[in-house]
Amino acid sequence: MDIYLPIAEVSVNAPLLVAVGALVGFISGLFGIGGGFLMTPILVFLGIPAPVAVSSMANHVAASSMSSVIAYSRRRAVDLRMGLVLAIGGVIGAFVGVELFRWLRLLGQADLIVAISYLLFLSVIGGLMLTESLGAILRRRRGDPQPPRRDRRPVWLYGLPFKMRFPRSRLYISVLPPLVLGGFVGVLSAIMGVGGGFILVPAMIYVLRMPASVVVGTSLLQIIVTTALTGVLQAGRNQTVDIVLASLLLVGGIVGAQYGARASARFRAEELRAVLALIVLLVGLRMGLDVILAPEEPFVLMSGLGG
Amino acid sequence: MPLDLPAPNVIPPAGAPAVSAALTDTTVKVSSDFRGARIVLYGAVFDTKARPADVVVLVRGPEQPVRIARKQQVMGLWLNSRPVVFQGAPGFYRAASNRPLEEIATFSTLRRLGAGVDHLAINAPAEQRIETRYGVRDVVVSRLGPDYYDWRRAVVRLKEKSGLYHEDGRGVRFVDRGLFRAEIALPTGAPTGVYQADILLFQDGKPVSRRTRTLTVEKVGIERALYVWAHKRPWSYGLAAMAFALAAGWAASAAFRRD
Repeated sequence: MDIYLPIAEVSVNAPLLVAVGALVGFISGLFGIGGGFLMTPILVFLGIPAPVAVSSMANHVAASSMSSVIAYSRRRAVDLRMGLVLAIGGVIGAFVGVELFRWLRLLGQADLIVAISYLLFLSVIGGLMLTESLGAILRRRRGDPQPPRRDRRPVWLYGLPFKMRFPRSRLYISVLPPLVLGGFVGVLSAIMGVGGGFILVPAMIYVLRMPASVVVGTSLLQIIVTTALTGVLQAGRNQTVDIVLASLLLVGGIVGAQYGARASARFRAEELRAVLALIVLLVGLRMGLDVILAPEEPFVLMSGLGG
Repeated sequence: MPLDLPAPNVIPPAGAPAVSAALTDTTVKVSSDFRGARIVLYGAVFDTKARPADVVVLVRGPEQPVRIARKQQVMGLWLNSRPVVFQGAPGFYRAASNRPLEEIATFSTLRRLGAGVDHLAINAPAEQRIETRYGVRDVVVSRLGPDYYDWRRAVVRLKEKSGLYHEDGRGVRFVDRGLFRAEIALPTGAPTGVYQADILLFQDGKPVSRRTRTLTVEKVGIERALYVWAHKRPWSYGLAAMAFALAAGWAASAAFRRD
């Protein structure tokens, strides 16, 4: 059953899109991530123009994050104040990112920057996560004690001005690091079509030293605000949001996410992290291959903006 | 397009060869179940002397400038070059004939008529400059240099790959004496707008008669409503799309809430 997407102007198989949405939704519920980094490459592979895939993902990620954040807030696992500071950074980042994406499309370099961003961020983060989680698994197998978590926070985090109290996270730090972090993730969400959870979550744990219990819920809050704004800006500035595409993915995605969240209780945290790291690494390398290997077809037609 | 042949749709003098044609559909509606379309063109050749004749059908979609870039290796990475804009490229092009075009007419005739993917009048005016070379004034030189033809061929090749350009030397079939038939396949990616179908009759390598038919491809129903909304009022569309997404996410969590 094929359906014609009015903005993407391609015809795709509707049940296939719902299934893809459900699969990515399951993975995102399982690992507590938005899943945009996985979905955008799949959509491009299915023949949807990259600008439309990136922009429509913002709507999809916002919806699936919305469905999870409510569950986290009931468990009081959201640091509202930290989330808002991150979100302010995210709003600025989204404005910058959407304009940057527009400019890159005009230059004809949008596809390239998307590919390089994927290669860079996903392989670095996937590699780091994989070594960390494999180490944890090996130590448990051998029966070694887990290394004590270093609770000493980096000095520079305390030397910065504009300090603020974050009672839920038990932190008293400058607002600058979370603002910069939020802004950076906002830019990425506009140019990569991702929520940015895969960068936000490790950064909140290892840089901001937030307690693990509030990290995922708080990052979801920031992701909702940033992707909601990105989605509206992409539609307003670039006219690349396909509501039919986003809705099809959403139907599968939100159902899959709920089952994924339930399934996550059955696995050990470090095993889940190792599998996620592997997926992240593979997606990053696959996307990066396009800029490293010699292309079969040396010419490319530029989509959108009069082309 | 300057053509030294009878103006289209004018009744020729009695006895002169003429061609006539009609499309089975004159509008193609793009709705949510659109998966491309097939349009049949029927026509007849009228010639009292029954001399051997060839029929060429040229279908052109609305003109769309093409932006194309070439991948270049820079420090081990394949990067896109500066995009080059080609003007005059139809968004859809199909040339069908009863035998290969080069057997029907000479290179210069085909070039003049824009018949065949190699003879499309596309060029990159922004890359051109006029200069004096070897004492000859007003020579048009492309900044792309000798690679110009590679670029031009790439435009055609990529359009062919997406099913938008096609040349078929057996696309016109004579089903009976003087009666012919051709099929026009529109892919899903065919642009919306007004298409022009030129039906040309050739005798002894010369175009002797021409008919023109138009075909409209338009979005209809909800597809059209969404497309128009997204392009005419992008901000309200974006806000509504996001409000819908957030509401759906909230509804899902409410539905799956474990009490």
